[in-house]
Amino acid sequence: MVTSTESVTQNSTARRRGGMSAMERRRTITAYVFLAPAFAILILFLFIPLVQVVYYSFTDYDMLRSPHWVGLENYQNLMHDDLFWTSLKRSFIYLSVTPVLIVLSIALAIIVNRPLRGVNVFRALYYIPVVISAVAIGMIFNFVFAEPAGLINGLLRQLGLIDTPIHFLTDPDYVLPSIMAVTIWRGLGYYMVMFLAGLQAIPEELYEAAAIDGANKLQQHLHITVPQLRPVITFVAVISSISALRAFDEIFILTDGSGGLLDSGVTTMFYLYRQAFRFLNIGYAASIAVVFTIITMIFSLINLRLLEGRADD
Amino acid sequence: MIRRPTSKPLSFRAKRWLENSGWYTVMIAFALITALPFFWAGLMSVRENSASIFRKNKPPQIVPYPGWIGWGEGYKIALKEGGYDVDSNEATKDRPAGHWENYGPRYEKKLQGTWLEPYTFPVTTQNYYKVWNDINIPRYFANSLVVSLAAVFLNVITCSLAAYPLAKLHFRGRNLLFSLLLSTLVFPPQLLFIPLYVMAVKVFAFENTFHGLVLPFATSALGIFLLRQIYQSIPDELLEAARLDGASEFGIWRRILLPLIRPGVATLAIIVFVDSWNAFLWPLLMLSDRDMFTLPVGLAFLRGFFSGDLRTVAAGIMIATIPMILFFLAFQKQFIRGLSGAVKG
Repeated sequence: MVTSTESVTQNSTARRRGGMSAMERRRTITAYVFLAPAFAILILFLFIPLVQVVYYSFTDYDMLRSPHWVGLENYQNLMHDDLFWTSLKRSFIYLSVTPVLIVLSIALAIIVNRPLRGVNVFRALYYIPVVISAVAIGMIFNFVFAEPAGLINGLLRQLGLIDTPIHFLTDPDYVLPSIMAVTIWRGLGYYMVMFLAGLQAIPEELYEAAAIDGANKLQQHLHITVPQLRPVITFVAVISSISALRAFDEIFILTDGSGGLLDSGVTTMFYLYRQAFRFLNIGYAASIAVVFTIITMIFSLINLRLLEGRADD
Repeated sequence: MIRRPTSKPLSFRAKRWLENSGWYTVMIAFALITALPFFWAGLMSVRENSASIFRKNKPPQIVPYPGWIGWGEGYKIALKEGGYDVDSNEATKDRPAGHWENYGPRYEKKLQGTWLEPYTFPVTTQNYYKVWNDINIPRYFANSLVVSLAAVFLNVITCSLAAYPLAKLHFRGRNLLFSLLLSTLVFPPQLLFIPLYVMAVKVFAFENTFHGLVLPFATSALGIFLLRQIYQSIPDELLEAARLDGASEFGIWRRILLPLIRPGVATLAIIVFVDSWNAFLWPLLMLSDRDMFTLPVGLAFLRGFFSGDLRTVAAGIMIATIPMILFFLAFQKQFIRGLSGAVKG
């Protein structure tokens, strides 16, 4: 009895110390063979660059001469860079597309969730912008916003509502809201489909029970749909705010790659692009990337906490 | 007797009709908001002159009828001479091949005096010919297709391989690797563009190559998660049985698992395809050779090339977007299932 227990203990300690059984070893080797291609790519194009970007942020580097260590200088400059702070403010203003997108796409999902004839046609139609590149959409909206004969200005003038065109893309106050409108227009169908999937997972009985209790349609949606959709709302809130913070293509196209009059369309992403790839201030741009990533992460964490915390009560 | 819905009381039907028409109104309003920008670009692309569609105190010109229709060179000569018809075998330097005919007068006669007349305008194919001839859109299209399909292929292979052991095999370091993978989702790709760019230029010479557009994005942590989820739903007994029959792990993956996870692979393929097809910043950084442009980069270039000529730009946009819309309509179900699958997963 005693010996057999000892031998079992010995056996297991031996295994814990690194002695794998032949089968275990073979299985581990197989597992790593399967993992190798994906991890080779991740190491090369994700983990190494991750280390590099932090390193570059402490250097002065223009890709011509080798990186030159400057310590915290880039970060110190960043603290005093007005355009960086303005761009950060704009990035957070840009975030206001998220609540608009969530409310509108839930409303749209509720509408197309009804068993109406031809509803599939509408669903498909709303989804089309998702498959078109942001570049093409940006260019189409150049026509929409054009003055004096663009779609909106032309229509308003035709109807006699305005005399002078609205300077959607040439008035510094309007540039950012105009671009944000395009982001909303482009994302609506995408999030609608996500909410639609969420809606279809809600059991019909809940609504029936509420109807018996005398709740009207609006009450039903407020007390059943919204709470039931909460996980999807959290998911959409996180991904849409991250993509709002990263918005680039629309800004590039609608401001002609310039960032807009008086830099009025320069968000942090655009500023990063300009510093890195226009001015080749690799070190400085890297410090922007690092700071912006940290801010984005903190923001996403708070966002997640708030949304999930509210679900608890 | 089966009660048909029509036998319900009239007030009920009236109420439902009213309610439904309310919903249709809202849906149509949203549809207009979605579709109008495309229609607008479409109208611009067939205009003969740049005079605006909306005019003050006059009806808008929104109903098209055939005007100068044709293909090839000689449009300007046609405007002067009333027509142009030169075959490629009789083309000279002064009179290159082209066929242009004005169908306008025929329709103008019919429209004359009708209430519709002030709303009409003639359509031309000239803008399409011009953009087709000056910019190699088919080439950009083919480039985008090659890049996107390569990205799909590599992502499907690497993700479906890597997700298998993470879902079904017990091995040392599994938890560590999995949390490592999880952590990558937190980092925005833009953070990586700076070092990636340096690497691509200094180490790999990725500029103006297709593999340079594909390789950095040849796998995705999100895709691995997606497929891992699906592998987990497959019962272990199935694998045990195959192992007892002496199948190798690779054989099990290839013959049993891969067919079973096909819906997940389709989802991944669609997500990767759309992302890759629409990618702009990375191709913009990598490509300077016009022959290597992908469609989004080509479109951005086209805009600079024809800066003043909005009608030609619009024609270019239409040529670039219509195939993608058709592709979507053909695979609608897969597209939408793919996206909702991403939510449920």
